[in-house]
Amino acid sequence: MTNGDVAANDARTTAHPLLVVEQVVAGYSAADEVLKGIDLRVETGEIVAILGPNGAGKSTLVKTLAGLIAPSRGSILLDGRPIAGRAPREISRAGVAYVPQEQNIFPTMSVRENLEMGGFLDPRNSARRIEQAFTRFPMLARRRRVQARALSGGERQVLAMAMALMVDPTLLLLDEPSAGLSPIAAQRLFDDIVAIHRGGVSIAMVEQNAHEALTIADRAYILVDGRNHRDGAAAALAADPDIRRVFLGG
Amino acid sequence: MPSLAEVGQLVVNGVMAGTILAVPAIGLTAIYAVLRFPNFALASHATIGAFAGYVANAKLGLPLLPSVAMAFVVAGGVGVVSDETVLKRFRPAGYVTTAIASIALTIALENVLRFIFGNELRGYDLPIQRDFRIGAIRVGPQQLDNLAIAGVAMAALFGFLAFTRTGKAMRAVADNPMLAAIKGIDADTIARVVNFVGMGLAGLGGMLIGLDTTIDPLTGFRSILSVFAAAVVGGLGSIPGALVGALTVGVGEELCLLFLSPDYRSAVGFVAILLVLTLRPRGILGQRAF
Repeated sequence: MTNGDVAANDARTTAHPLLVVEQVVAGYSAADEVLKGIDLRVETGEIVAILGPNGAGKSTLVKTLAGLIAPSRGSILLDGRPIAGRAPREISRAGVAYVPQEQNIFPTMSVRENLEMGGFLDPRNSARRIEQAFTRFPMLARRRRVQARALSGGERQVLAMAMALMVDPTLLLLDEPSAGLSPIAAQRLFDDIVAIHRGGVSIAMVEQNAHEALTIADRAYILVDGRNHRDGAAAALAADPDIRRVFLGG
Repeated sequence: MPSLAEVGQLVVNGVMAGTILAVPAIGLTAIYAVLRFPNFALASHATIGAFAGYVANAKLGLPLLPSVAMAFVVAGGVGVVSDETVLKRFRPAGYVTTAIASIALTIALENVLRFIFGNELRGYDLPIQRDFRIGAIRVGPQQLDNLAIAGVAMAALFGFLAFTRTGKAMRAVADNPMLAAIKGIDADTIARVVNFVGMGLAGLGGMLIGLDTTIDPLTGFRSILSVFAAAVVGGLGSIPGALVGALTVGVGEELCLLFLSPDYRSAVGFVAILLVLTLRPRGILGQRAF
């Protein structure tokens, strides 16, 4: 499914990849470097999974990409332009939408108001994109007046992704979208992610559910202790006996 | 044994006082919801509003409504400047430090007023009107005007928060500041807006308090305990809570006159804070911001 999209996008991607991360060092303080030199690349039209054990730096990596953490070294290029160390607002304007793992909604605001805030940087298209979100996710339309804190875990994740799509991003960064969801809710969420990707959005996602992530991703990176451990085509990694033993439980 | 009419009169007075109290209490709670510290400089801003309204009314001869508008705008403007130049620098040091700085700020601003206007009591230039009587209960026309002004101010704030882009962004920052930053909402802009609106409401409330009596440089300071009690009783950070809390404290302060000398009236605020923090620390309406 995704391979076809990549082929179709080849002509566009030859200029430069959508996102290029090179030797990025970052952390919460100078003494506490979580990322110790990470390389990563996302081509236009890809789903890239970022996997690894707890503490490998997966969340830190997407936070750095979103501008919440400034890298102390290394470069991050979006469409060939440097974005490392820019404010979240500027990175969002440049077309990168980030969905945090937790606290990714405005709990006391209505579903509709949450979507409005998602599109805060692009108010002119707000009304039209809210209608699009309601068409794509009918659950949100039904619950548009409900306070977001009343939504279930799976519904919150859908709202959080719909909020991110309000600025029509080229790259969507998802931090453990299925964390804490029931298997059925997680499956539904992965279906939604695939649908968003089919709509023309490239995706980089951190996932603890490695099996599902490798099923929908084109390529994957495995991080261990803040460094690149393995990377390659998702199907190849999923078939690798070492990877299966360590990350996929046999 | 107090008569029913006596109790009724005190309840009516309490509701009137509570509605006026609600205006600065909403200002305090709105600033708390966004900036996460109790801004005690609200006291001096209430006084600044009262004096701005006094200058407009008694010195420039403006009628009541433009004078009230002046109280709002001047106190709001001073609020933005004082936050930008003083309190903003303290915020990275944490909310306790910032709250203490706000007490220092309020004493400084109060003394600026004292330097300009002196210590004497001043009154607004308003026509004297006869009280209305409904059965055994008396209501002053000025009290009704105050009630209407407070009501309009609160309705306007509600509309601002519910329907405008900036108002919604303010609620978003109060709800989840990190996510608001990711979505591109500028925290500094929202801080200025909430300081203008919050301190503006304080100034408006200060003038409404003064309209009932007289004003002097300590007008705001004398009512800050009741204002703070109202916000805490309703749930600090909750705007409807501030209204509920203000009515509770307002009626409570009046009803205590049945048993106590007026000298002890301010004890009601202390007791209310004590009870709420002991029994229901998040206030009557809890964290419901809006």
